[in-house]
Amino acid sequence: MFRRGLSLEQAPPIKAVLRFFITLPVFGLILSCLMIFFPAEILTPSHPFSLSAIHLLFLGMVSMGMIGALFQMQSVLGGAPIPQPLGNSLIIHTLFTLGTLALVSAFMFGIRELFVVTSVFLGSAIVYFAQILLPLLFGKITHDTLKGMRVAIFSLFITAILGIIMASSYASQSFSDHHAMIRTSHYSMALIGWISMLIMYVAFQVVEMFYVTIPYSDWCKHNIKKILVIALSLKIIWLFTALPFEWFFDMIIVSLLVGFMVTTTKRLYTRKRRVSDASVWFWFAGMGLLGISLGTYCGSLIFGYAPLESMSLMTFGLFALSVILGMMGKIIPFLVWFHLNASGFMETPVMSNIIPQKRLKITFWLFVSTAFFTLISPLYPTLLSLAGASGMVTFGILFFNILTAFKLYYHISKNGTKFRFNG
Amino acid sequence: MIEIDAREMEHPLPLEVTVEGFRNLKDSEVIHLIHRREPLPLFEIISKNGGFYHSYQSDDEAWHILITRDCHINLEHFRV
Repeated sequence: MFRRGLSLEQAPPIKAVLRFFITLPVFGLILSCLMIFFPAEILTPSHPFSLSAIHLLFLGMVSMGMIGALFQMQSVLGGAPIPQPLGNSLIIHTLFTLGTLALVSAFMFGIRELFVVTSVFLGSAIVYFAQILLPLLFGKITHDTLKGMRVAIFSLFITAILGIIMASSYASQSFSDHHAMIRTSHYSMALIGWISMLIMYVAFQVVEMFYVTIPYSDWCKHNIKKILVIALSLKIIWLFTALPFEWFFDMIIVSLLVGFMVTTTKRLYTRKRRVSDASVWFWFAGMGLLGISLGTYCGSLIFGYAPLESMSLMTFGLFALSVILGMMGKIIPFLVWFHLNASGFMETPVMSNIIPQKRLKITFWLFVSTAFFTLISPLYPTLLSLAGASGMVTFGILFFNILTAFKLYYHISKNGTKFRFNG
Repeated sequence: MIEIDAREMEHPLPLEVTVEGFRNLKDSEVIHLIHRREPLPLFEIISKNGGFYHSYQSDDEAWHILITRDCHINLEHFRV
């Protein structure tokens, strides 16, 4: 009477996912401290503190959240859960956290040896993660989201390889003629191949599922990954061969992201049930931030005005973070509720009470104020300190939200009473 | 048969409503859940709590999930 071939242990243990999610606000707190005390340094492109801040945002927060979400979503979207999830998530999380801390410290304190440590930890974490996940994505089940996830994981792998090459340059303080090209390829792969690709293909599944919207068109699902891969590959070839009109490929990528932003916003705006939900606010904010990021990037290409480029990078990070926070607002209560229900506990609260909407909405508005001050800080650098202060409160509350959900789960699973059937 | 049409319910309402219905299910009763997706996590909750289910997709692409706690009931007979 069970469905054919379904593993009944679909969901990974709660700890396997939440350890990634709870680390995200910790890195957010570290980043906020940097913003408060070193605003001018962070806003100086290529300054070691600026590079620390960028990696805290994209590795410690965005990628940490995305890997945690993949641990949860792989079983649902891929049909095959990650094997030995507790052990594997512990290995990946530990290596990834230590690697990120080593990289941030290497930039901040100028300790060259730490770049080698970073390469070992982050390289191992990403290679290990890719070799576990990629075979699962090539299983019996196949659909566009899985194909998009394959490209994203492969891009993460390439990003890591390029990162290791750059780390070895920083460690030896010898920079090849190709250093600038490697750096551009490194962040292009990270921002487009890894982050944008994964967010778009996960959105194709979850926006419709979470918010009862009309589905994305099949054309989008089939073709976006192909066009992005071609545009990104050609951009990198153009970079290394110093051919003209490299910006043409940027424009293709920008056009696709604009299309994604418009279609997602339209779907969310015309969703069937307009329930007031902080997670959907995070998605709206994410789309708005993506629009600003793309606009400022185009502005920086046209006018060559450096602050616009900084603004674009920062808002892109905030876009990804906003979407991830929106996803976490759904995933964390679901995980707690699901595991307690699967174990048959009577005291299982309704999902909306696990992290109260009121607290999620406060987190949202604090995030908006952090994003706002960050966004205008390239024009008024001292405002970055204010953004940092706002970030401290935002990530402090986020940490508290996740911790209380975690504690609730453990409290009920230790002290709760098991459900008995009526009748 | 208790019918739950969750096709226009926002996640996670379909799961919450169905699990609540499952908890209060009498021996011979059957829940008929209509969903726009196949709710895999629901199957795990039902199975781990001594229930049985049968799922199938109709021509209009809706998923139909029949749930009971009586192992003697042949859920395939309840297909609509």
